[in-house]
Amino acid sequence: MKKYLAVFKINLLNCLTYPAELMMRSATILLFMWIFFQLWHITFAASGSDIINGLSLHDTMWYLLLAETLELGRPRLARVISEQVKDGSIAYLLNKPYNFLIYQLSSGLGESLPRMGMLFVLGGALVWAMAGPPPDMVNWPVALVALAGAWLLHFCVNSLIGLSAFAVEEVAPFEWIYQKFVFILGGMLIPLDFYPAWLQTIAKSLPFAYMMYGPARLFVLPDPALFAQILVGQLLWLALLGGLLTLVFTRGMKRLAINGG
Amino acid sequence: MFREFKFLLSLWKTNLAAAMEYRAAFISQSIGMILNDAVYFVVWIIFFDRFPSIIGWQLTDMFIVFGISASAFGLAGLLFGNAFNLGDIIVKGRLDYYLSLPRPTLLHVLASRVVPSSFGDFLYGFISYIASGQFSLGGLGRFLVGVALATTVFLAFLVLVQSLAFWLGTGSIFTSMAINAIITFAIYPITLFNQTAKVILFLVVPAAFMGAVPAGFVKGFSWSVLGLMLFGAAGFLTLAILVFHAGLRRYESGSAIQTEV
Repeated sequence: MKKYLAVFKINLLNCLTYPAELMMRSATILLFMWIFFQLWHITFAASGSDIINGLSLHDTMWYLLLAETLELGRPRLARVISEQVKDGSIAYLLNKPYNFLIYQLSSGLGESLPRMGMLFVLGGALVWAMAGPPPDMVNWPVALVALAGAWLLHFCVNSLIGLSAFAVEEVAPFEWIYQKFVFILGGMLIPLDFYPAWLQTIAKSLPFAYMMYGPARLFVLPDPALFAQILVGQLLWLALLGGLLTLVFTRGMKRLAINGG
Repeated sequence: MFREFKFLLSLWKTNLAAAMEYRAAFISQSIGMILNDAVYFVVWIIFFDRFPSIIGWQLTDMFIVFGISASAFGLAGLLFGNAFNLGDIIVKGRLDYYLSLPRPTLLHVLASRVVPSSFGDFLYGFISYIASGQFSLGGLGRFLVGVALATTVFLAFLVLVQSLAFWLGTGSIFTSMAINAIITFAIYPITLFNQTAKVILFLVVPAAFMGAVPAGFVKGFSWSVLGLMLFGAAGFLTLAILVFHAGLRRYESGSAIQTEV
């Protein structure tokens, strides 16, 4: 466990060494949140109601902030792993005394945490100024638990896409399409509550809703039943995707051919 | 002028031949990008299904705006792929190669790479236009003119932003922010923005020239809109060339050995 903690710390410190760069990279969230505010401010005004399907403009903006923080702050592991598979540098990671997947998890988390923190602070300041103060602090712990589950689900899918480089030449299209499914079925750009009922049912029966909608919705309108439902869903999908990831990794190792060094 | 055009044609032929060496990757990335764009657009279909009009802006307008932006983005990547990493080329001293050859430096460097997935974007733009339900032969002609002028503005903006690397010594952060900004603003309804924001969208981040203005032209011919687009394209292109050459006077490299393939 100590070695993974060390990998986590190295990546964390690496990100924090250049705070100005971290801030500049995170500044994109300001653009997105500003545009979202323009869109939803006008949409709420046009609808003539302060509440649409249970969400106010304030709820919608903080929902979108958490969703954007997760999307922009999660590590692009698919790209990293697929490059390691394609250029053979995976060989240098496999001969070290650690588990490859847990190594990726630790390094990804070390990279992701400061980035997500900065995104939340910058975006949060703007959303606060435009839509009002953040949701009650009581909501935060449940949202954080769901956020951790969502991050792990992203990790599993991203790693699976990265490892698919064992079988296919180019993994980028898988990554793009996966991201777009998260956008739509995860409710990243529009909260799932605004979807037609039939689409909500489909979205909530797939893992994407647990990767984005779950934590974001709990952040603005938590309720115990929803929390339990999201937690159970995340655990089930983690068991399924985590098992699949282990299987694909084991199979991939058997296909791996390393020539020279 | 004709000589430079022949040179460009030769470059594009060579680029295409090089891309076709990895035919499977080219085709899979192109198809992947078409799917990616199509899946992304579903967000707007869901949005306009729930909220049919945003201050007069409807789903049909989104199809055309998205079509123009996607095709312009794709055409830039297909014909001038290095526009997306000009900043890196400057910072890493890779302009040496182009400077040592008797051809216009900016034109040569920009056209020396093709981004394979761009073909998917370019094609998707036409699909989106056809899906708008506003297709006509005259409209297609205006669509082509709109795409050509939007591509010019987009390229000029990329060159302008990345030429900052001559002064700042770094390019990648600004590039990703600039691309995010112009694309995001271009594909959102322009009616969302107030007068100040609109001035910014015409003069600072010229997203209006990449989305709303050419989309309006596609819907109906107007000499004034055509004039505005021509003026915008010529103005930004001239500015980009001037700034690039001003920066080029400051360019220095460590004479590192580089290989340009």
